[in-house]
Amino acid sequence: MIGIVALTALAQAARSELKWEQTSVDLKPALGDKQAVAHFKYENVGNTPVHFKSVHASCGCTTAQTQNERVAPGEKGEIIATFNIGGRTGTQVKTVTVQTDDPDAARSTTVLTLKAAITPLLEIQPALVYWQNGEEPKPKVITAKANKDAAIKKLDVASSTPDFTVKVDAGSAPNEFKISVQPRDTTKAVYATLMIKPDFPNTANVFSVAARVMPPTPATKSTLSTIRHDLATPAATAASPSQ
Amino acid sequence: MPAIGEAIYFRNKVSWQSPIPAAELVRVDRARSWGDNVIWVDARPDNEFERDHIPGAILLNEDHWNELLPQFLGQWSPERKVVVYCSAQSCNASREVAKRLREEAQLKNVFVLDGGWEEWLKNKR
Repeated sequence: MIGIVALTALAQAARSELKWEQTSVDLKPALGDKQAVAHFKYENVGNTPVHFKSVHASCGCTTAQTQNERVAPGEKGEIIATFNIGGRTGTQVKTVTVQTDDPDAARSTTVLTLKAAITPLLEIQPALVYWQNGEEPKPKVITAKANKDAAIKKLDVASSTPDFTVKVDAGSAPNEFKISVQPRDTTKAVYATLMIKPDFPNTANVFSVAARVMPPTPATKSTLSTIRHDLATPAATAASPSQ
Repeated sequence: MPAIGEAIYFRNKVSWQSPIPAAELVRVDRARSWGDNVIWVDARPDNEFERDHIPGAILLNEDHWNELLPQFLGQWSPERKVVVYCSAQSCNASREVAKRLREEAQLKNVFVLDGGWEEWLKNKR
């Protein structure tokens, strides 16, 4: 009996527990930022060491680093989660799953959540303007709305090929631009990347959209059979310039 | 009980919080039946695409959205359906890429491959 009590007391005494200051972090990266970094602070409030078994991010766009593999009793530290923003916009939720050797299953796995609200510098729509082959080469408009905090006054737009002309005008709303795109010719298939560069300092943000004149629509089965039928008739043969 | 377990497992996954509408999902067998009328879009990270991908797939992920989007649009054609995939059922990248293609490029007939790359491999013939 005394032995059982002693063992129970010992088990209760020998305890490791990683206490997290917070398991969810909200971030608001500045315009043009490439990364968002979250710090998840912890402390071992138990009296035996804790070991990290694994730290796994929910996507390849996020990396997570521990300072030490072993956390001594009373030791504090943090896991740094770095989210590479890339071309993402809107609310992004990324998780980091941390596993320790804590014998208590309820405490051995912790999910850390990083929420980042990413506001784009420019919202561009549509990202593609195209003309069917032979369509009248009228201008088509792309709208670019600049973030109001960015105070963008000017957009430079350049076409990667001389097949399209571009013109930038102020839009109907503040911070809005209208990019007018026009092909020189719609009888041949052409493609261009339009590079849009806002006059925003401290970033190399260049946005890309596409302009195309589509290739001629492939003949459908019924069209082909009509053509073959026409070629087979004496009238068609007579009309053929090669005969 | 299984539903509770599933709810706990998926609690931090965005796909659980906002499921993809059925009309925007396509199963592997159906997408394959479309033959050449499909443009496959791989929304996974570059290194996973480089390792292996659906034959003919075009890389378009949000890590390099600005650079990759014009390349994809240069190969898009209005008569073909677009099927976007990521790693597995639980990933969210394909849904995000499909949504942006619909909204930003204003493309129609954009679908998400149900089960993603994992499901494609299971159905590989």
